[in-house]
Amino acid sequence: MTTEDFDTASETSDLLGGGGGVRQVSSLTAFAAIAVMGIALALVPIWIGDSRTLMGVAVTGLLFACYTIAFNLIFGSTGQLFLAVGAFAGVGAYASAITSDRFGIPFPFTMILATGLAMLVGGVFSWIAVRRSLGIIFTGIVTLTFSLAFDNVLLGLRDITGGETGLVVDAGSDTFLSRQIPPYYVFLSLVLVYLVGYVLLHRSHIGWAFRALRDDEIAAELSGVDIARYRIYAGAIGGGMLGFAGALWAHAEGFISPATFTFVHVDVPVLVMLVFGGIGTLMGPIVGAAVFTYIGEVLASFSQLRLIAEGALLIVLFLLFPQGVVRALRSGASELWRKLRISKP
Amino acid sequence: MTAVILDGILLGLQFGLLGVGLTVVYGMGGVLNLAYGQMAVVAAVVVSLSMSSGLPAGPAVMLGILAAAGIGLALDLTILKPVYRRRGEARVLLSLLLTIGVAFIIDGLLVWRFPIEALSLSIGGEPILVLGVPMRTGSLLASAITILAGGALILFFRSTTIGKAVRSVIQDEVGARLCGVNPSAVRTLILTLSGALAGLVAATQSMTSPVPISAGFDITILALLVTVVGGLGSVRGAFLAGLLLGVVNAMSSFYIGAYITTIILLVAAALTILIRPSGLFGEHA
Repeated sequence: MTTEDFDTASETSDLLGGGGGVRQVSSLTAFAAIAVMGIALALVPIWIGDSRTLMGVAVTGLLFACYTIAFNLIFGSTGQLFLAVGAFAGVGAYASAITSDRFGIPFPFTMILATGLAMLVGGVFSWIAVRRSLGIIFTGIVTLTFSLAFDNVLLGLRDITGGETGLVVDAGSDTFLSRQIPPYYVFLSLVLVYLVGYVLLHRSHIGWAFRALRDDEIAAELSGVDIARYRIYAGAIGGGMLGFAGALWAHAEGFISPATFTFVHVDVPVLVMLVFGGIGTLMGPIVGAAVFTYIGEVLASFSQLRLIAEGALLIVLFLLFPQGVVRALRSGASELWRKLRISKP
Repeated sequence: MTAVILDGILLGLQFGLLGVGLTVVYGMGGVLNLAYGQMAVVAAVVVSLSMSSGLPAGPAVMLGILAAAGIGLALDLTILKPVYRRRGEARVLLSLLLTIGVAFIIDGLLVWRFPIEALSLSIGGEPILVLGVPMRTGSLLASAITILAGGALILFFRSTTIGKAVRSVIQDEVGARLCGVNPSAVRTLILTLSGALAGLVAATQSMTSPVPISAGFDITILALLVTVVGGLGSVRGAFLAGLLLGVVNAMSSFYIGAYITTIILLVAAALTILIRPSGLFGEHA
């Protein structure tokens, strides 16, 4: 199946991964890919399950995969550069942790509450961005100011959030979430749910609207796609996904601090992971998160080198593979396949 | 009260100069340089190292400014080349992502090689009375240098042919090219100038409070806030916004508290984008 890509999309769309992505594969292929990936990742604890440290790293990797899928929905599908991935997750984490520990509400309920709050925040930011037609850069700057302000609020409201020292989360600490292996499967399930949701969403009318507005916003609007509505959908759903993942992390880890959710610690790695995997692709976020978690673990003992390596990778990736490594590999493979077919007599 | 406002103005002058360095690069190239603060920090480290190896303050500061300007020049000649090949939002986006990478590399290198370096230029002397308020010699000297540099910049942009060429590229790149201005040469010049400004601010800043190697990201954010409030690409706007934010900063950190101040500055920037995207003092509405 080689579809010629007549990409007449706008200037940004090659950076945003215009063309390609979910559209070229059938639902069956997509679900098969998710299943294969799920089985492969489910075997990881056999390999590193003995080590509490390594399992922690693996769970963090899955958490970042969740973040990256959500960010891919907001940025990759609808071109909204939300530089507040960490802050949205933080909203979910702190909201759930504080309400469950202070008011004694069972934490599954507070997680729903926290998700709703993060959805609301995400939707509001999308609404503002659409109403004021902010464009990619101003959307980025406004959400970045939110991210920084949120960090400062956490530091400032010492009585409620514990300030810089962080907050011990009691709710969930006496359940299976605090054991060594179960959190891995909980987060793996979350990744799978997010992926299936991503495919279903992109198969629905919402997905058609996403593609239309990403490829050419003006043409989409002229053909009657209500851009504002679909941007807000993406912002709210993505925000909710981030909030839920953050809240789940808070209860599984049992401790949160402002540093866990800062721009530098969350948004930059998520951006790197997404670009590495390929913006707007289904499996890109997983590949990106897996590769960078591995690199991070290898470089863990040289923490300054890790910063340098991340910076260098960011530059090299954007210069060489602005469409992502997964997509580059795939187009390389289909090129090879075509050549093989032609060379056959 | 007078003392707080005066303090704010002195701070604001430096904010303004910091903003100018970021805003001209955005204005003429559509490049958002998120490694801007790291250029300032590199200058601070160079000054600090050369002073501890026995160089007097003056030449050491010059060396630091040269180093930061060198980084600007190097950025322009290397990783920004592919950025210039794109237009519109793609250019801003790619520049932003690549310079985050540069910022990480510089931060990483500094933490690795000079983990405890910080620049603090102590200017001795008795406090001097200004409007009946005793001011530290260091902050007065810093302001004097800032005012001189700001004046020189304004003269440069208004009266020299090169300065006018720069402004023509800011207004309309294609039009400037048609009039025989070489945008790529102008960009190289501006990136270098921007680095030099970052270096200069690092030096003047260190006369009142130390500049540690971890300050890069904060400096970038501060410059970005000033730039946004002043209007992206507006030199005059950056100075006015710098003064405004400087006074706001001094007032609120004196009367309310330090962490609220940061939030106030961030909210001010966000509101400016929402209410008047061209900036409070932007030249084109």
